[in-house]
Amino acid sequence: MVAGPLSLDAPPQFSSAIIRRAHRRDWMFHRVTQASALAVLAIFLGIMWSLLSGAWPAMAAFGFGFLWTESWNPVREVFGAAAPIYGTLVTSAIAMAIAVPVGIGIAIFLTELCPRQLRRPIGVAVELLAGIPSIIYGIWGLFILAPFLQQNVQPWAIDAFAGIPVLEDLFAGPPYGIGIFTAGLILAIMTLPFICAITRDVFETVPPVLKEAAYGLGATTWEVLWKVVLPYARGGVVGGIMLALGRTLGETMAVTFVIGNAHRISESLFAPGTTISAAIANEFTEALGDLYVSSLIELGLILFFVTFCVLAAAQYMLYRLEQRAGGARA
Amino acid sequence: MSDTVKVAINKLSFFYGQFQALKKITLPLYRNKVTAFIGPSGCGKSTLLRVLNRIYELYPRQHAEGEVLLDGVNILLPSQDLNILRAKVGMVFQKPTPFPMTIFDNIAFGLQLYEKLPRSELEARVETALRRAALWDEVKDKLNASGTSLSGGQQQRLCIARSVATKPELILLDEPCSALDPISTAKIEELIYELTNDYTIVIVTHNMQQASRVSDHTAFMYLGELVEFGLTEQIFTTPGNKRTEDYITGRFG
Repeated sequence: MVAGPLSLDAPPQFSSAIIRRAHRRDWMFHRVTQASALAVLAIFLGIMWSLLSGAWPAMAAFGFGFLWTESWNPVREVFGAAAPIYGTLVTSAIAMAIAVPVGIGIAIFLTELCPRQLRRPIGVAVELLAGIPSIIYGIWGLFILAPFLQQNVQPWAIDAFAGIPVLEDLFAGPPYGIGIFTAGLILAIMTLPFICAITRDVFETVPPVLKEAAYGLGATTWEVLWKVVLPYARGGVVGGIMLALGRTLGETMAVTFVIGNAHRISESLFAPGTTISAAIANEFTEALGDLYVSSLIELGLILFFVTFCVLAAAQYMLYRLEQRAGGARA
Repeated sequence: MSDTVKVAINKLSFFYGQFQALKKITLPLYRNKVTAFIGPSGCGKSTLLRVLNRIYELYPRQHAEGEVLLDGVNILLPSQDLNILRAKVGMVFQKPTPFPMTIFDNIAFGLQLYEKLPRSELEARVETALRRAALWDEVKDKLNASGTSLSGGQQQRLCIARSVATKPELILLDEPCSALDPISTAKIEELIYELTNDYTIVIVTHNMQQASRVSDHTAFMYLGELVEFGLTEQIFTTPGNKRTEDYITGRFG
């Protein structure tokens, strides 16, 4: 019997000190990560508590009527959230209506159609667009985009749609330049790079062999993209759109510059309006009186809730979509 | 003899950038026969397959020289319409590639690309294709389930059904069984045998027994060159070339 390190009779002796230390480390690691996770929950509850307690005077004074009252009168202390809620939803809808098709279009071009030498420059340009601070979009929107729209686009649109039902009301004068439409356009430009970058990344995860199989049947590029690539990447694309939508709903600075900050609901998209975040940013410093401040905090609570609802609805839509396709995603 | 040649490959060379992957291959593919391409990894057999429907054109810096005559027409000419070529030449890949849609739509997708079919006929064609691929009995009650919900072997038969549905003239199989279990493999081999009634088939395979079981002709390739081509029986019993013999008896490769 050879007593050596290779002997089968002598199993290796684990030092109990080492084992204890390893256990202690694991325990600490567990606690530290757990504490981080709980901190998130604590912060969330803290914010909810602050919002609820801050908004309580307004909720007590106006009840649910706050949600559909359009009037916003600091002098008589009558406040309602209808105009900012409307503005928030409509500007985001305009932004998505423009940014989603254009963003996906750019992503398709970059991944499938673009000559290789052009891919990087265009890709980098899109990413740079994502890095521009929102205050710069605001200044640009106010001094460049709004006057341009006022002088060139809006008068033309007002003339062109005159006499067509619905559209005639949506695009009615006078051309202010600033307003709901301009805010939506700025938001579209701001969120475009997000949608584009995420969609492009998702498209690149589509296995080349799947595309080869579709091309191999004689499908055209359009058919391959529309019937195979897009359905395969659907989950990721919707995820990217959600992220962008979350950003547009809460975007403050750029919108505040160009929306006109008027607490009213107009039929025309060219009319000035306001959004929840723009109203809070604009008025918080000059809000006099507890009810005024409390109403602004309630607006914040509503924004929180609106964002949550929109994202939840989008999740549900995605779920339904996948159900209908029979979970047809690898 | 020439009317039985479906595809005549003539002095075909292929390049990935600077690298020459095929060196002046000359080879006939006979009508309604199965031709197997065998050889060690990297010998160019899959590349040769990918020239036959010009799928390589999806990627930059790959090009072919020489001639590939499909029924006497050179498909390598720039004037050849790629979509029409690929509609005539079906392809099944190593890994199953069901599209992200229902089983029914997986088949109907290809059918609707080039034919305008009324619903009833479409359904009939889908059923026929699934029957031909020996899949109908397994999926007839769940045509609206996702194509990706099937097992690997079923997915591969779905892909074969998809190719067969559009009635191509030539079917390319790129190691169709390498990801499958023996039972699925046996089903697909049986299927290949039946399909030769209507189609000309090319199969790339690493599996010598499979090549000898399913093919009528065998081409042995090595380092981008065609070493030997002949009747499968003859290649496997009395190979004319030493390297062919070494390969099929498992001495290298």
